[in-house]
Amino acid sequence: MISLPPSERDLHAYVDQQLPESDRRVLETYLAAHPEVAAQVHAWQQDAHVLRAALSGALQQPANPALDPALIRQRIKQQSRRHFATAAVLLMAVSLGGLGGWQAREATQPPMLPMADAMQAYRLFAQDGVLPADYHAQGNATMQTWLDRYFNQAQRLPDLSQAGFTAVSGRLLSTEQGAAAMVLYEDRQGRHISFYIRPPGPENNFLPRGSRSADGLLAEYWSGGGYNYAMVSPQGLPTTPLLQF
Amino acid sequence: MHELDEQLRELIPRLRRFALSLSRNASSADDLVQSTLERAITRWADKTVDGDLRAWLFSILYRQFLDAHRRTRRYARMLEFFTGRDDVQPSVERTVIAQSTLQAFDRLNSEQRALLLWVSVEGLSYKEVAQILDVPIGTVMSRLSRARQALRQLSDGEMTSPSLRILK
Repeated sequence: MISLPPSERDLHAYVDQQLPESDRRVLETYLAAHPEVAAQVHAWQQDAHVLRAALSGALQQPANPALDPALIRQRIKQQSRRHFATAAVLLMAVSLGGLGGWQAREATQPPMLPMADAMQAYRLFAQDGVLPADYHAQGNATMQTWLDRYFNQAQRLPDLSQAGFTAVSGRLLSTEQGAAAMVLYEDRQGRHISFYIRPPGPENNFLPRGSRSADGLLAEYWSGGGYNYAMVSPQGLPTTPLLQF
Repeated sequence: MHELDEQLRELIPRLRRFALSLSRNASSADDLVQSTLERAITRWADKTVDGDLRAWLFSILYRQFLDAHRRTRRYARMLEFFTGRDDVQPSVERTVIAQSTLQAFDRLNSEQRALLLWVSVEGLSYKEVAQILDVPIGTVMSRLSRARQALRQLSDGEMTSPSLRILK
């Protein structure tokens, strides 16, 4: 409810038709009795009216097709797609760089062959006799007990006694893929066969059963029970067909 | 396809008029409208305050204008600094004594122009204007009162001191 005489704010609210109906009527009665205030209000109304008329022309501008919302929406989408594409290109460059680097590394290094570490261990310990053994066995049974201390649910050690080989020593090794163990078998002529066990590594490189030979050594490899295995023996050893596990 | 697009399309003439009254230049007005629409479309999903779409768009446009205006002024100052002179001289046209309401309107400052357009021409409520300007309703009313007085005086050709005629 407005109070009389009306404040200037009330007068503006009246001009702007923002007074409640009852207030508007009260004010109109007041204005009828006060011509000088009415003249002021009328001038404001007139200004507003003239302004509305003067600015109405600006509503009739010829349409600007660039302002169509659908078009703008499309443009925004294209922009974000372009940003996305830029990001993708950057990502690709990084990946290619990384991949290229990786491939270059592979090109300059000998390719990773399956269980190459088993063959390397054989050369070091069975052929060159480097480093004393961590464990000397008194037979297959004790050897198995020793191995089971380090590897849960590892496969049983093969029995090579028919070929004249018995497990003699065990060595623990550290490899890129994790802790490994090599059990060495020996026959009466001093020839060696190794049993090698280690985890598949962080990338879980399990192997299909296979074999390969290199530098006079034969490696048979396979995976099972969460480990990778290899049997390494000198090439041409007549016992090889006996290695059935 | 988009319900918003249809509503926006209907309001475009009003946005262009408002932009024109602020920038006084048709092409920069349309640039202003375009960036307003872009912003509205991208922000539509996040718009939490519901209310008059028109008031919301006006407020986006007004902010864009103020930002652009500030940038231009900074640029003008920089230009002045490097060239050693003020390139923004009032034109003859600008110093002509206001003869009509429209000319008087053009001489008001941008906030006064916006206020009068919102209230007198577009018929927004004081509350909506208060939300756009982020000031109390009382402040809106006293600023509106000053804008009306200024328009009145300019229309009557009473205020002719150069300091008030020169526009930014």
